[in-house]
Formats: sequence, structure tokens, C-alpha cells
Amino acid sequence: MSGEEEENAAELKIGDEFLKAKCLMNCEVALILERKYDQLQQMSDDPLNQVSQVFEKSLQYVKRFSRYKNPDAVRQVREILSRYQLAEFELCVLGNLCPETVEEAIAMVPSIKTKGRAHDDEAIEKMLNDLSLIKKFE
Amino acid sequence: MFFHIVLERNIQLHPRHFGRSLRDNIVSKLMKDVEGTCSGRHGFVVAITGIEEIGKGLIRDGTGFVTFPVKYQCVVFRPFKGEILEAVVSMVNKMGFFAEAGPVQIFVSNHLIPDDMEFQSGDMPNYTTSDGSVKIQKDSEVRLKIIGTRVDATEIFCIGTIKDDFLGVINDPSAT
Repeated sequence: MSGEEEENAAELKIGDEFLKAKCLMNCEVALILERKYDQLQQMSDDPLNQVSQVFEKSLQYVKRFSRYKNPDAVRQVREILSRYQLAEFELCVLGNLCPETVEEAIAMVPSIKTKGRAHDDEAIEKMLNDLSLIKKFE
Repeated sequence: MFFHIVLERNIQLHPRHFGRSLRDNIVSKLMKDVEGTCSGRHGFVVAITGIEEIGKGLIRDGTGFVTFPVKYQCVVFRPFKGEILEAVVSMVNKMGFFAEAGPVQIFVSNHLIPDDMEFQSGDMPNYTTSDGSVKIQKDSEVRLKIIGTRVDATEIFCIGTIKDDFLGVINDPSAT
């Protein structure tokens, strides 16, 4: 990493550029790419020929690993998670992996437990509960 | 992780593309140039989602080509060291296994697979626990942690581990 501080997502060191950027959960990427794919389909008969391999692989991947399918649920997930003062990156890891227990959540996103942040186990538990409710009522 | 970011690029255009459809021509050239590419810094450019600004063109001396600075929004996939994500196993051998997460390939060496999982060769090479309850083979879905990335001009390659809490197989294709 050309002289910069070494990156480590567990400590939220992902570089200023990406820290400020908008992260996308897999389900959000799925919505974006599927829409783009539909547009291409309208323009030509064989859209698979039009898209890059990167696009195709990403689309397959996000379709396979989207936790939430319907657009309203996706919006709700982001809204609920954004109440908890998470960084964009943390929000998306939680939305992607949907941990079930507090320990699992902390193992997936160690940075939520670092000093100076107001996340106790209770708050995390409540957050996970809210998430699983969306899934149930989707 | 996927990101939505704004990038900038200079697009060179031949004068025959000027005229009423100049903007469309710039945008389609941009898509052809950047979609599907990979840079070490920003990762894989998956799709362009919008154009923010097309600056004033500058005529190149001697050629007549014009360079337009373009700011565009795009979806990129950039893996980070320390990131935990889900991936699909694409190949298994005695050295370990390869998994794919979107456009990126991740190698998990057999040293980073839990010690109680043994390699089994055969038609469908796999890693299995001694009691046979957990199996990693082609098309298994695993949750892994990226512990290293190697970046060159056009490719990003990752090394991962499943030897940690809450990592490992999440879905076994042969079980269903």
C-alpha cells in the first residue's frame, strides 16, 4: 500500500476515500445491476454479450447472497441500521452477513466494540432483533 | 465490499463523433473503456450508474482528437484485508481451495482450513471433518475472512482464512 498505513477492515482502516464513500449492501447492488441489465435487454436481444465478465459475475454473486429481495425491505434495513451510528462499511457488513448473536456480530465487525463508541451488548442485541424482524415480515 | 463512488477519467474522441450526439458518444466510449476494468486503488468497476459532469474538451495538438474530462458515478467492488464476506467455492485441491466473491478470486490454503478437516481426493475433491458432518466442495458457500490482498495493474487476488470463529461453510450443496 504505497507508504500508506496498512489497511485493515476490522479496525475500519480502509482509506479515507472509501470511508467517506457510500457502501452498498449486496441486496442494493442486486437492485442496481438488475435494473441496468433490464435496460440493456430492451436495447438488444443478447444482453449477455453486452456486459463485461465483471458485471456478470457480480450480478450472479449478489443475487446468490442477497438477504433481502424486495426493495422495501432493503430500504428498511438501511434505515434501521443507520439509527445506530455505524460507519457505512459496518452497516453493510451487518446487512450482508445478518449475524444472529451478539458474539457473532462482534466477530464480524470488531470495530463496533472499539473504545469510545456507545455500543453495549444490549444495543447490539436490539439492532439484530430489528434486523431479523424485517426478514420475518418480508 | 461494493461501493458507490465518483471517479474521473479523460476520454479521447475522434472528431467524427462530434455533433448532436456528442454526449452519447462520450458516455458510450466511457462505458466501453472502464466497465469491467480493475485498478489496485479502486477495485473492479462493475457498472457506471450516472454521469456527474463532462468538462470542456481540449484539442490535442497535431491530431484533432479532443480530450474530455468526465466525472462519473459507478459501482465498484473492492476487497479489503480484514473484511469478512461470503463466497462460492470454485475449485478444491490438496493445497487448499479457491472461492469467488463476485469478480474476485480468493485462495484459502489448507493451513487456514480448520485442522479437523481432511482432504479427500476423488471425482469431487473436498475437505471433510472426521465425522463427515461438514464438507467443503465445489459450489459450497463459505464465509471467510480476507487476510491478504495482492494487487497488480489489472487484477486483485486475495488470500483468505476460515480458521476463526463464525467462519466456514454456510451451505452445503450435497446436503439439500
